[in-house]
Amino acid sequence: MDPDILSTFKILIIGESAVGKTSLLLRFINDNFDPNVSATIGVDFKTKKVTVDGNTVKLAIWDTAGVERFRTLTPSYYRNAQGAIVVYDVSRRETFNKMQLWLDELDTYTTKRNIVKMIVGNKIDQDTREVTKEEGIKFARRHAALYIESSAKTRDNVECAFEELVQKIIQTPGLWEASTNQAGTISVSQNDSSDGYLPKCGGWSCSLA
Amino acid sequence: MTALTQSVPDMEALIKDGSNKSALTCLHCPSRILNASVGTYVEKEFSLPAMTKLKSQTDTENHVLKDFWKVSDMFHFENVGFSHTADGVKYLTCADCEMGPIGWHDLQTKENFVALCRVKNS
Repeated sequence: MDPDILSTFKILIIGESAVGKTSLLLRFINDNFDPNVSATIGVDFKTKKVTVDGNTVKLAIWDTAGVERFRTLTPSYYRNAQGAIVVYDVSRRETFNKMQLWLDELDTYTTKRNIVKMIVGNKIDQDTREVTKEEGIKFARRHAALYIESSAKTRDNVECAFEELVQKIIQTPGLWEASTNQAGTISVSQNDSSDGYLPKCGGWSCSLA
Repeated sequence: MTALTQSVPDMEALIKDGSNKSALTCLHCPSRILNASVGTYVEKEFSLPAMTKLKSQTDTENHVLKDFWKVSDMFHFENVGFSHTADGVKYLTCADCEMGPIGWHDLQTKENFVALCRVKNS
């Protein structure tokens, strides 16, 4: 483990099919890529390094890769996750209506009671919005979750979503442990960040609902 | 299934003290995969499926590769993706554009091997 890594966080991305879960994770799309050619493999999980407020953490990000269609997510998928991004499509109300089920499932299987939840209303680039921002914020507030609206297509707020989630996990005591080789030094920075929650991205989109 | 052997030209220039001299990035996007000096050069024959295939094609071509950067811990990567288990291994992909396989992850030893010819040794 690099000496500059604070910790490793397991993050889940859940929600109905085709709400844009995977595209939230795909940062770069190669414009020159031949549309007649496809990648030969599907991805199970990813490790990514992110730096938030000077703290560098490794994320192990788990995407359901379509199996949510058959409701076959196993308890092990949820085990030890510190953060969950629950996604719906603002242009399809039925995906918002299923949010309660996803949060119930998360609460059933999570092994960490203070897991940080973020509700993401995706596809705000679409003209046919069916779920208002206010409804999303209200729902998130009821579940003590962070709330953000995003467009994976235009990349609006996508980076912000991950940074916001990581920031909140770092600030949640008892949710994570520092990398062992950092044990002596980390308690200081943990105390530094525990004295208040400051939304990194500002404005309504990132507020702690 | 066809097997093609590929090798890397001017490999010596990429290695310093047995490790990758420079950082590794994806061939297709700017995503950084591994920092300099984190991988160890190993010569090992392994057959990896081709990076791409025509959508009309059902079978995947395999390439026999022998030059790899070994990474002992999956969290030593900067950014990397892991495929579902296939043929007893997990294949490695770019975490951002998902192009791959760029190597494989050994489920028994937990070691990771990145093919020199499938990443940019920038």
